[in-house]
Amino acid sequence: MNQTTETLINATINGKAISAPEYLSVIQALWHAGYPRIKSVGCLEGVCGTCRVLVRRQNSQNITTELGCQVLIEEGMQVNFLAFPTPAQQHYKLEDIRNSWEVQNNFHTIFPEAENCRHCGGCNTTCPKGINVEKGVILAAKGRFREAGDLFTECVLCDLCQSACPENIAPNHVGIFSRRVTAHLHTRPSNLINRLERLRKGELKVVI
Amino acid sequence: MTNNISYQEALANYKAVAERPLPEVNYEGLLEKYHPDYFKDACVQLKIGPNKGDICHIQLAEMLQADARIDEADLAGAQVIETDILIIGGGGAGCAAALTAAETGARVLIATKLRLGDSNTVMAEGGVQVSIEKDDTPQQHYDDTLRSADRSVDKTLVAEMVMSAPDVIRWLIQQGMQFDLDEYGDLLTRKAGGTTAPRVVYFRDYTGLEMMRVLKEAVRSSEIEVLDYVPTVELLSDEDGHCTGAVLSSLEDNRYKLVKAKSVIIATGGIGRLHLNGFPTSNHFGATGDGLVLAYRLGAKLRDLDSFQYHPSGLAYPQHLSGTLITEGVRSAGAYLLNAQGERFVDELQSRDKVAAAIMRECAEGRGVDAGNGIKGIWIDTPGLELKNPGIFNARFPKLIKIGKKSSIDPRKQPLLIYPTLHYQNGGVIINKHGQTNIPGLYCVGEVSGGIHGRNRLMGNSLLEIISFGRRAGIHAAKYSPRKPFRKVTIEHLSRLRRELMLADMPMDPKGPILFPAYAKFETDSDYSGLHKNIKSK
Repeated sequence: MNQTTETLINATINGKAISAPEYLSVIQALWHAGYPRIKSVGCLEGVCGTCRVLVRRQNSQNITTELGCQVLIEEGMQVNFLAFPTPAQQHYKLEDIRNSWEVQNNFHTIFPEAENCRHCGGCNTTCPKGINVEKGVILAAKGRFREAGDLFTECVLCDLCQSACPENIAPNHVGIFSRRVTAHLHTRPSNLINRLERLRKGELKVVI
Repeated sequence: MTNNISYQEALANYKAVAERPLPEVNYEGLLEKYHPDYFKDACVQLKIGPNKGDICHIQLAEMLQADARIDEADLAGAQVIETDILIIGGGGAGCAAALTAAETGARVLIATKLRLGDSNTVMAEGGVQVSIEKDDTPQQHYDDTLRSADRSVDKTLVAEMVMSAPDVIRWLIQQGMQFDLDEYGDLLTRKAGGTTAPRVVYFRDYTGLEMMRVLKEAVRSSEIEVLDYVPTVELLSDEDGHCTGAVLSSLEDNRYKLVKAKSVIIATGGIGRLHLNGFPTSNHFGATGDGLVLAYRLGAKLRDLDSFQYHPSGLAYPQHLSGTLITEGVRSAGAYLLNAQGERFVDELQSRDKVAAAIMRECAEGRGVDAGNGIKGIWIDTPGLELKNPGIFNARFPKLIKIGKKSSIDPRKQPLLIYPTLHYQNGGVIINKHGQTNIPGLYCVGEVSGGIHGRNRLMGNSLLEIISFGRRAGIHAAKYSPRKPFRKVTIEHLSRLRRELMLADMPMDPKGPILFPAYAKFETDSDYSGLHKNIKSK
């Protein structure tokens, strides 16, 4: 525990040879080595989805997609930060969906590509949160929005699944749409509604 | 230097027990002796600006009294954009203001330093305070907020906020936000430290993530225009002192953009990344207090500049996760705090300032855990909570389980080492109930504003505040902006700033806002076309 000498790890980040202590994330390691990094840095806790990296570990043929703040530096690791162009997004208003019978048709108008899923699994492979993205898309296409949305509980909208999809489906937005429409049309808590009614009737006041 | 007890020895002292009695705790003089707000030499008097003579944290004072990054010559040939309402900052408060204003048909532009949604909102875990339980009232919510604030607050702002809370939740649900519900579909509530009733509604320990991705999606799928990667470096004003827009600096093409706006809403959040007093922070990478600096220069009055919140439960070990937040929800669910001897030393649901100070006292008096490399802390007894309430971590705190995986520590089996982390700026720009500042045309909402939390904020009041006041500013600005004519845009106020700096014999070399923490090496950036450099060639 009380280590006095630090082990330095050698890795390549964005083509630069970096040596840094083993307990640093790849972002921290880049800073540690004196390189600037501002873009692709966000919450540093794995919830904002900004710091997308491609990672190849020593003696591995595989390239994985991960979040840079969550990856600890390893010997021989190669890391490349991915730029973050914000892709064009679907335009819709939840208010335009008048009742729950209309959701499915609205969904296919907003996300016409969703029913073209080829089941290639690319979205699942790229997801740094291990979400079963493909199943979510299929559920949403069948109108099972609550079930689809539940799968996306951990989604941080990093857009990696979108980059991976050969049909240009925006699976993460399908997921968030599913979650939103479920709350919008079905969350009706009685304790909240009772309180709103008492406030409307002027029964509750604050004395300063 | 006090010798604390080593990690291994402290771990050997620890035993998971479901119930532990609370010992006698002495709170007398606790804050004065151990809370960082009271550290000697932490504060100075401001020498220039609307708060001249007021006490302010020394690191914040340096920024408030810094020179601007630009001068007249920089504006020549800059691209000009016109909009009704400019919103600076793309977190929860900014998005709430934007969505509300856009509903009325006003033209809205959000300019954000990083990407839309990169904010402290997305990291918030605990929840939102709203009095909805049968035996709870807005009055109790108001009273709790004032008691915990430990100093005069703006009572009107607090009253407005607590009364609007239920409608805030309704609005969030309408936007598509999910909350944890009980088997009958009612909102589940939990109790925050320093409160008299269970009042925090939440979604797992992802409340902020759920809120932010819903608001972000709502903004992106609307007509609202969003500019990413454009930090605001200065506000614009006319000869009457109205705020008339802002100067943005693009991280993409190294150029300035000049936005002419009829109203400007600042929603830039807090200042954790200044690492006040050398503390780690739970804050987002962009939280460098830009809005405070911009507003102060234009003449906006600030308050409570010596008061910050240190969240009691920042992860202390392992080092790469230092400062990461462990939600107060864990304590509110019943987890104890234990010192290196395995004993409780504070009522875990006291207000955050007292709990944080009590942790620092344990470590200062040798009852803390020493994890080497200068890392110290005390235990949060997660295995005890799991014992008392099996399965609770999987069901309610998935993010904590993930943190455990990254630490190679299973919080259900081994306690986590925590130490207070810089979390929140209690004060800020003075506003009225519409979010208006004393500068015509300038609004401030969210953490950048002050007056609601006094010296100590309650859990769940910040997510409430950002939506409550974000919506107010959006409504107000939309009502009064579109019909107004555009005004003249100048940076005349910078002449005043520079004159004042000179007269006060202040240095002109620090430039503000700093935009990014020093360790990101923004000013020496060579990797991509960065911002206009302020390093003058000598």
